[in-house]
Order: sequence, then C-alpha cells, then structure tokens
Amino acid sequence: MPLAADLGTAGPPAVDRDQPIPTAPALDSGQWRRVHRVTPLVRGWKVLVAVLLVFSYQTTDSVRWVREAPGPTWLALAALVGIVVLVGFGYAGAAWWMTRFAVTDDAVHLRTGVLFRQQRQARLDRLQAVDVVRPLLAQLFGLAELRLEVAGGSGSGVSLAYLPHGEAQALRAELLALAAGLRRPEATTSDDGALDAAPGFATAPERKVYQVPIGRLIGSIVLSGATFAALVGCVVIVVVSAVTEEVGGLFIMFPVLVGAAGAAWTHVNGGVFFQAATSPDGIRLRHGLTESRTQTVPPGRVQAVSIRQGPLWRAPGWWRVRMNVAGYALEEDSQERESVLHPVASVEQVRTALWLVLPDLGVDDPVAMIDAALTASGTDGAFTPAPRRAVWVDPVGWRRRGVLVTERALVARSGRFWRQVVVVPHERTQSLAIAQGPVQRALRLASFELHSTPGPVRASVMHLDQEVAATLLHEQAVRARQARATAAPEQWLVRPDPSAQVGLATEPGEQAQEDMP
Amino acid sequence: MSDGVGPFELADLPWTRVSARLVTARLLMAGVVLGVPAVAGAVAGLVLALPWVWVVTGVAVALMGWVVWLVPRQVRALGYAERDDDLLVVRGIMFRRLVVVPYGRLQYVDVQAGPVARWLGIARVQLHTAAPATDGSIPGLAPDEAARLRDRLASRGEAKLAGL
Repeated sequence: MPLAADLGTAGPPAVDRDQPIPTAPALDSGQWRRVHRVTPLVRGWKVLVAVLLVFSYQTTDSVRWVREAPGPTWLALAALVGIVVLVGFGYAGAAWWMTRFAVTDDAVHLRTGVLFRQQRQARLDRLQAVDVVRPLLAQLFGLAELRLEVAGGSGSGVSLAYLPHGEAQALRAELLALAAGLRRPEATTSDDGALDAAPGFATAPERKVYQVPIGRLIGSIVLSGATFAALVGCVVIVVVSAVTEEVGGLFIMFPVLVGAAGAAWTHVNGGVFFQAATSPDGIRLRHGLTESRTQTVPPGRVQAVSIRQGPLWRAPGWWRVRMNVAGYALEEDSQERESVLHPVASVEQVRTALWLVLPDLGVDDPVAMIDAALTASGTDGAFTPAPRRAVWVDPVGWRRRGVLVTERALVARSGRFWRQVVVVPHERTQSLAIAQGPVQRALRLASFELHSTPGPVRASVMHLDQEVAATLLHEQAVRARQARATAAPEQWLVRPDPSAQVGLATEPGEQAQEDMP
Repeated sequence: MSDGVGPFELADLPWTRVSARLVTARLLMAGVVLGVPAVAGAVAGLVLALPWVWVVTGVAVALMGWVVWLVPRQVRALGYAERDDDLLVVRGIMFRRLVVVPYGRLQYVDVQAGPVARWLGIARVQLHTAAPATDGSIPGLAPDEAARLRDRLASRGEAKLAGL
C-alpha cells in the first residue's frame, strides 16, 4: 500500500523551522503556581448540586416509601449523601492539587487532571483575548476565573479558575504586556530566585468610550422580536380560548412566557452595566449581572463586525454590534455573552464601536460612509449595488444589497427590514469565494462571499453583477494580501524597526521593545 | 468550462483537472446506493407479484441514468489552479463555486483516501483555514499529485504564514 505513507496531515507549522525551537527555560518548581484554595469549594458545590439533583429526580418516587421507612433507612440515606459530599469535595480537592500553572515569557503552561493528566501550553503571541469571568459564587468569595483564548478551536482556551480577583487582574496585565511584546524588567535567565521578586506589569490605563443606559437596555428587550412573538402568541391563545370557550388552551401560554422571559433574561444579564473602554491592551468590555465578565480583545484581534437592526428598533434608531474574535462563541449559546461589542447602540455609538475596531476606515468621510451603509440603498455612499435585474431573485431587499471597498476594509450592506452591515478589515480576510446558481446564471448574477473565523458575523454580498463579483474576488484577493503584508505585528506594542533587521530574528517581536506607558 | 464566458472561466490560468477515476468512484457509490433498492424492488416485484413495487426499481434506474449522465460532467467541472499567492478551486455545473484560498491563510492540509479511493488510486486534498466556511476540498487527485500538492501548499503556507 504505497499510498498509506503519503497520507496524513501536513500544514504550515506554527513554529518557524529556521529558528531553533524556543527551548523555554526549564520550569523549576518555584514557577508553578496553584489556583486559590477555595476553588474546590466553589467547584465542588456545582458537583454536589448536580449529584443531588440527579439523585432527587431518581428517587422522587421512593420518597413516600422513605418517609414511611424505619430509622435505619434514614441513616443509610444520610450516610449516602455524606459519602457523595466527601467524594465530590475530595475529588475537587485532588483536582485542585493537580492543577498548576506557570507563566513564562512566551507561553502559559497549565497542568490539570487527576486520573487523565493534561499539560497545555498556550503561546502568548497567539493570544486572541483575555477574559476575567466571575460567576455569582466566585464574586461572593472575591474570586475570578481568567480565560485565555488562543484560536485553536473548541475547548482550546486556557482557563485559570479560580484566582483572587486582584491576582487575576494583575496576571491579565502581565499576560497582555507579554503578548504585546514587552519583556519583563529583569532577564528571566538570571538566578532562580529573581523571578518571584520581579516587579509585575502595571495595568494599562483605560478610557471609557461608551456604556449602555439601563433604560435603553430594557427598551431594547421590550422592542425585541422575542417579546413581540410572545405577545402575538399570547393574544392568539387568549382569542382562541375565548372563541372556543376552552380554558385549557391558556396553559400553553405558560411555556411561551417562560421562553420569552428566558430570552429577555439572557439579554439583561449580558447587557446590564455594559461598558466599553480603550486601552493600550485593546478593547475592554465589561458586562453581566450574575456572571460578570471583563473581556480584553487586543488590537487587530477583531476579525469582522456586524451591525444589525430589526424593524422594531428602527423608530428609536438602535443597532446591535457584534464581532468575530477567534476563540469566542464556538458554542452557539455563548454568542450573547462573548461576541457582543454593543448590545444596543445609537448611531453615534455605532461609529464609536467601529472606531474601536478599525480606527481608520480608509475613507475621507467615515460618518457619511457609515450612515450610507446603515440606511441608504442603491448607489448612495459610493456603494456598488446589486443590479436592477436582481429584483427577480430578491424582490424585497435588492436595493439594499451593495458592497463598498475602502482602503482598509470591505463593507457589505443588506436587508430592507432587517438591516445589516458587515465590515471586514482586508488583513483579516481568510478566504474568498463566488457562487452562482442556475437562476443567477440566467440573470448574469453571482454572490460574493468572504470567509471569517467562527462567530456570529458572516460576510457575503448576494446577487451582484457576475462581472462585478469576479472583479471583486480577484481584487479583494490582492488587497487582502497587501494588507496582510503591511499589517501591524501580532505583538501589537512592538513596531518593526528597520534599523534592527540585521538581527537573526524573523519576527519583529524578537527585536524592539519599549516600556509600558 | 468550454463556453468561455462568465466569471468562472478563467482561461488564462493553469487549471489542473482531477483524475477521471473519480467518475468511477462516484459511480460505484451511486451504484451501491441506488442498486440496492433497484434490485430489492425487482425481487419483491417478482416474488410478491405486486406490479407497483416495480415503481421503486423504475425510479432507481432512472436516477442511475441521471447520475451516469451527470457525474462525468461534474468531475470535468472540478479543477484547481495554483497561483503565486493563492489556490483557486472551481466546482459545479448548475451551482458553481470558485474559492480563493490564500497560502498565507492555510492552517493545515489534509489528504484523505477511503478504501474505494485507495483501490482506484485517488485521494482527496482538503484545505483548512481559520474560517470553517472555506470550502477548499479537491477530490480525485492521484496520490502522487495529492502528496505533491500537500507539500507545496505546506511549504508555501509556511513562507507566507500570517497571523490570524
């Protein structure tokens, strides 16, 4: 079987072959740290509650039997619960003992697992985002979880849970500074003891740029599609019940209302106290009630942005701004928590949010451009629209479909009632495609697609003139390549220094360094 | 690709077509999937003497005819072209698609071959970027060509690798 040897997986390795493999200075025991010792208690409760829930579900039928049972049965039951508690907390304690992490200049190392051991190393130059997450119980104990996203697919992030809140923040500052390309004040190669004494990095100063007023957040939920659907559903149920004079139908309202309340709660919980700030470390978003979350997305890590508005939000002029960040929102239900750049923005705040991601949109008049993208149709704002014959395949929204290519980004506009604008920076383009179905072919139309990392934002411009789409495809491939070549370095505080190119390093990150402001 | 008009016909590019053995592989698969109901329908029709069971056989045979007509054209429409900075993959007759995958965006490349494909001597090269929507799959390559393409893509990707 000659083929067998040829099969397999090959790919551009993350490590540069010309350079020796960065032999991390051997991690001595002093560098390994443990998470806070209350962690097993905080985690154990979850296990305990889960076990008790399952247990109680299983034994609901036998409760009556237990009540009539003699004393020894009660004792046995209590002993069983005690054993579950002991095993649960014992395991959590063992897991705590086995969980150790260390931070070097290049990576975060994490060792976990009691029976199945795992060692994970997350490279800091691949860092996509750092979150400080505080569930309710952790907030009571003054603890926080530090989550590092490194864009490796589902479950690839590194979670350090739980640390004292202050320590988590200090560690975040340190990780971001190291990822930005700064170096520790002392060389790490010096004697062992120096590391513990090395001064940490100061937290980067931040400046608040917007926050969401609580009134508007509630208004946005009242005016949401879920509320509207629940209202319509309830009215229908009431009318049907009244006409048929059957009261039983009213009970269907209960799940409808519970569903609507659940959706509303998700939005309240994710959006309350939402505020965004800028710092040299990147965008910092804070939000959440029962689970407060502080996200830090370093510069250049936002892969794409979408701005959307449903018909109910048109009158107040509200927009929802979401983003794609590699590593975020890999599960559908985490999108609302992780990928929201602004839950309900005014037009001014849409501009600010876009500015956070793309300070330079590459047009002379960004305000006019954004306004045209949000509300205009046809050729307004220098957009290239779908041609008139697209009315045959998209009778409602064809006027809104359009694309604008600026020097820095591609802006796709669509939706007549559910308006949407997608902005993808050229250097963040992954791959491109054009597609054409039989009807489109007859009409000489084609759809243009731009592929981004997983997330809520999907960029495509449907039903363009096929020549326009083909030209766009090839021009965009060139533009994306040029933008990648001139893009800011991954280590964002390091500027490529032309005078230092004699050095051996291929990455700019190895050369120039500067101090944290 | 013969009529030479439209955005999917890029005659000036060095297009490589995939192996005709892919036709055999796909027809074999279709033969198994459609042959079983056809035979089953025929047997049931003969044994039970129910005339309407023959409809199953008729539909299966008709589908087979359609597949025999379609698959060779589909395979002929499949192709790829290596440019200096990106790889182009074109596919489809009725629903056509042209994908541009920049080498600098490749995260990894898979080469796969099932038992039938190995017997026929073809393999599939699958390109992966950080975007799951990237549909960069080239079936029906000769093993040597698949290996060559994989190594070429890997080395080019390495040379041009950018961050995310």
